[in-house]
Amino acid sequence: MTVLALQAKELVVGAHIDGAMVPAIRALSFALEPGKILGLVGESGAGKSMVGRAIAQLLPAGFAITSGSLLFEGSDLLQMPSAARRALLGRAIAFIPQAPMTSLNPVQTVGALFDEHLVRLGEARRSARRDRAVAMLTAARLPRAAELLTQYPHQLSGGMCQRVLIALAFSSNPRLVIADEPTTALDVTTHPPILRLIADMQREHGTAVIFITHDLRLAAQLCDQVTVMYAGRAVESGPARTVLATPAHPYTRCLQLANPSMRAERRALYVMPDQMPSLRQLRDLAGCHFAPRCPLAIDDCRRGEPESLAAAPDHQVACIRARATQTVAAPGGDLAAAGAAERPLLQVEDLRKHYDVGDGLFAGARTVAAVKQASFSIAANEFVALVGESGSGKSTIAKMLVGLEPPSGGKISLDGEDLTAPSARTSALRATRLQLVFQDPQSALNPRRRVASIVTQAMEAGSRHADWDARWARTRELLAEVGLAADFGTRLPGQLSGGQRQRINIARALCSLPKVLVADEIVSGLDVSIQAQLLNLLARLRAELGFAMLFISHDLSVVRHLCSRVLVMYGGEIVEQGPVEKVFAEPQHPHTRALISSVPPDDPAAKWAALAR
Amino acid sequence: MGGALGRALRSPRVLLALAMVTCIACCAVFAGTLAPHDPGDQNLLSILTPPAWADGGDPSYPLGTDSLGRDVLSRLIYGARTAMLVALFASLGAMVIGAFLAHIAGYFGGTVDWLIGRAVDVWMSFPPVILSLILMVGLGIGLSKVILAIVLVDWTRFCRVLRAEVLIVTRHDYVAAARLLGFTHWQTIVREIVPATTPLLITLVSLEMAIAVVVEAILSFVGLGVGADQPAWGQMIADARQYVYQSPWNLLLPILAIFLTVAAFNLLGDGLRRTLDVRLAETGR
Repeated sequence: MTVLALQAKELVVGAHIDGAMVPAIRALSFALEPGKILGLVGESGAGKSMVGRAIAQLLPAGFAITSGSLLFEGSDLLQMPSAARRALLGRAIAFIPQAPMTSLNPVQTVGALFDEHLVRLGEARRSARRDRAVAMLTAARLPRAAELLTQYPHQLSGGMCQRVLIALAFSSNPRLVIADEPTTALDVTTHPPILRLIADMQREHGTAVIFITHDLRLAAQLCDQVTVMYAGRAVESGPARTVLATPAHPYTRCLQLANPSMRAERRALYVMPDQMPSLRQLRDLAGCHFAPRCPLAIDDCRRGEPESLAAAPDHQVACIRARATQTVAAPGGDLAAAGAAERPLLQVEDLRKHYDVGDGLFAGARTVAAVKQASFSIAANEFVALVGESGSGKSTIAKMLVGLEPPSGGKISLDGEDLTAPSARTSALRATRLQLVFQDPQSALNPRRRVASIVTQAMEAGSRHADWDARWARTRELLAEVGLAADFGTRLPGQLSGGQRQRINIARALCSLPKVLVADEIVSGLDVSIQAQLLNLLARLRAELGFAMLFISHDLSVVRHLCSRVLVMYGGEIVEQGPVEKVFAEPQHPHTRALISSVPPDDPAAKWAALAR
Repeated sequence: MGGALGRALRSPRVLLALAMVTCIACCAVFAGTLAPHDPGDQNLLSILTPPAWADGGDPSYPLGTDSLGRDVLSRLIYGARTAMLVALFASLGAMVIGAFLAHIAGYFGGTVDWLIGRAVDVWMSFPPVILSLILMVGLGIGLSKVILAIVLVDWTRFCRVLRAEVLIVTRHDYVAAARLLGFTHWQTIVREIVPATTPLLITLVSLEMAIAVVVEAILSFVGLGVGADQPAWGQMIADARQYVYQSPWNLLLPILAIFLTVAAFNLLGDGLRRTLDVRLAETGR
C-alpha cells in the first residue's frame, strides 16, 4: 500500500471568541494520494484556507489546532519538532499563494529570489543555481527566462508573477503543493494557462496538490478528489466528477443551481436565503450547520450534527436527507428579458480618454490612451454588459459616464441632454438620473454614517434639506426594495455583512430613482450564494422601478444571465458588441473567444478545451 | 464617534492625563482665590525664603519667596494661567489655520495642493524657536503676541500631518459617491471628510498644547514673552537662575510645573491617539 501524501484525521481548529473556543474547522478528515489533486471547495468562511494555514502552522491570531492529526507521508506535522517541520516547509511542502503581486518581495529581482531559495535547498554553486532558475522559469513557460532574472516583480504582470511563484514552488521537487485560490486575483484569460501549468507541473513532478477554490466547475475540471466544505465542516467528499455530476449534499446542489450557466438555457438562479453562519453564530447553532438555509431541512436536522454517510462506495456525505438532494430545483421563473425600448436613452459617441504621464519637467510628457474610442447606446430598461480584462478601460468609461473624469473627446448624452463636460449643470442632472454603484462597498459606505443616513444621502445634497421624517420614510421603502428589514436603518456599515453592504450600496444609488445605473463589478468579490441573491434582486428592481444599467463585469456567465447586450473591450477599444446570445455563440474577435473559452464548462463530464493540450 | 469617545474615557492613560490637566486648569481659572498672595506683592524683608518645610522657612510662604520677595506658590499658580491661556488659544489657532489649509490641499489636490505644500516646506525649513523669537521681536511682547507667534509657526505641523490623512480619506469611494449624489465640495468636505479626520485633529491639538507650553516658557525665559507684570514659568526660571546656589527651589519648582503640564498633554495626546484612531484601536482588539 502506498503511503498517503497527506492525511488529515479528525482535525479540529478552534477560534477564541469571547473567551470560548469555537471550532472553525471541525473533525476534518481527508486523504490525498501521491500525485493526485484534492480540491477543497467552499464559499468564504467555510474554513478551506484554514487547512493550508494549519499545515504551515501559520494560523491567524486567536486560532489554534485543538485536536486531530495531519500526517505528511505518515509522520504527524503537528507532533514533530518545529525544526523538523520547518525543514519540510518550502522543500517537501510548497505553497502557491492567492495574491501573486504581493507575495513577491518588491525590492528583490526574480533572480535574487530564486538564488535565495536554491541556497536554502543546498545548491552551493552559483552557476548551477542560475541554470536551475532558468530551467524552472522556462518550464513555467515564461519567455526569455535569463532576462527575467534581472527584473523586479513590479515589472511583471500578475500572471507572470504567479508563474514565477509556481516555478519557485516546484523548484524543490516538492511532494505536496498547497495552492490557495491561485487564479482568483488574476484576469480571466490567464486562468486556463495558469491552471494548465499547475496541472502539468504536478504531473511531471508527481506532486500531490491541495487545490483550494470557490469554483465548483473549476474543481470538476482540475481535481481528482474534492471535499466540499461548509462552516468548517466537510459536507461532501468523493471523486470530483462524481460529486459535481451527482451532488449528494443539498449545499453542493444549491451552489450549483446558484451559479449562472454559460452554455445551458438561461434559467432562474436558486437563491439560498441568508448567508453562511459566522463563527459567533456557529457557537449557538445546534444540529446541521446548513439546516437554517437548507430547502430539505426537517426537525431531525436541527437535533444533532449528521454523521458522514456513504452515498456511493467512495462518496461521503454528511446529510440525513441526502437521498432527496436531487429533488432540489431552481424556481421555474419567467426569464424573458424585460421589454427594452427602441429609442436610445444613454448615447455615447466616440468617447476618448488619455492621460499625460511623466513629470513633464525633465522627461517629455507622454500620453497614454486609456480609452481610444468607444461608441455605444443603452435603451431605457435595458441591461448592457461591458466586459474585458483589467486595464482595458472599463472603469475609465464608468468614471467618464458618471462625471468623475472629464472625457478627452467624444460625446455623452442622456435623454437628449448633453452631459459631456463636467459642470454644475451636468452634475445636477446626473445626480438625479445617472448613478454609479461602486465596486467595493467597504470603501463606498462612510463607516461613520448610519444606514438610514447613507441610503437617503441624496436628500441632503445641495440645497435639499429633507427632514428626518421624510428620510426615514424613504429609508423604509428603499430597505424593503433591496430586501432588508427596516431596523437595518440604525446600523453602521461595520455591522453588516458583505452582501448586505452591497444591497445598501445599491439602495443609495436608487434613492432618487435614476434612469441609468452604472454598476462597476458589483458582484465580483461576493460568494456564489450572495451573488445569486443580488442578481435576482437587480432583475426584480428593474421590473419594479424600471431603469437601464451598464453592468461592468469580468464574469461572462453572470453577464449572460443578467444582460441582453454585451460590449467587449480590449486595449481601450470596444472590439465587439451585440446581443449576448449571439456574441457568445459566434464570437468574432479573438479576445472575445479567449474570454469565452476561459469559463469552465457546466457539465463536469465535459472536457474543458482551454485546459486540454 | 460615541463608541470611540467612550473607549477614550475608559482608558487609564487618558483618565490620568485628564485629571492632571483638570488640576492645572483649575489653578489657572481660580488663581485669584487659590493664591495666598498677590503674585506681584513684594516683601523685601524676606527675600529668597526657602520653602516652609526647610530650615528658616516661613509658613506664610509655603514654597518660599524669590529674589524680590514675591510668593513663589502664588507666582506658580498665576503662571499656570498664562501657560493655559497660551496652550488653549495657540493650539486652537494653529489648528484652525492648519486644518483648513490641509483639507483644501488634500481634497482638491493638483495646483492648490502644490502651492500649500511648498508654503509648508519653506515655513518648516526655519528653525521653529528662532522663527518665533524673530516674530516676537517684530510683534512686541504680550500674551496675545505670544499666541500669535506660536500660531504662525505651528500651523504647518497641523497642515502637513492632516493633509496626509485627508488624502487617504478622500481616496475612499464614499467621498466620490457624495459628489455623485449632488453634494457640493464644501458639503463633501464638512460632512464626509471632517468627521473622519476629527480624531486625529483632537490628538494633534492636545500634543500642540504641550508644545505651546514649552515655547511660551522659552519666550518668557529670554524676556520676549508676556509682559514683566504677568507671572510666567519661563520668567521665574530666568529670575531664579542667578540665585541657583542660594535657593535651588526657585529654579526647580517652575521647571517641575512645566514638566508636569507637558507630560499631562503628551499623555493625553498619546492616550487619545490610541483610542480614537480607528486603525490602531482595531489592531489592538
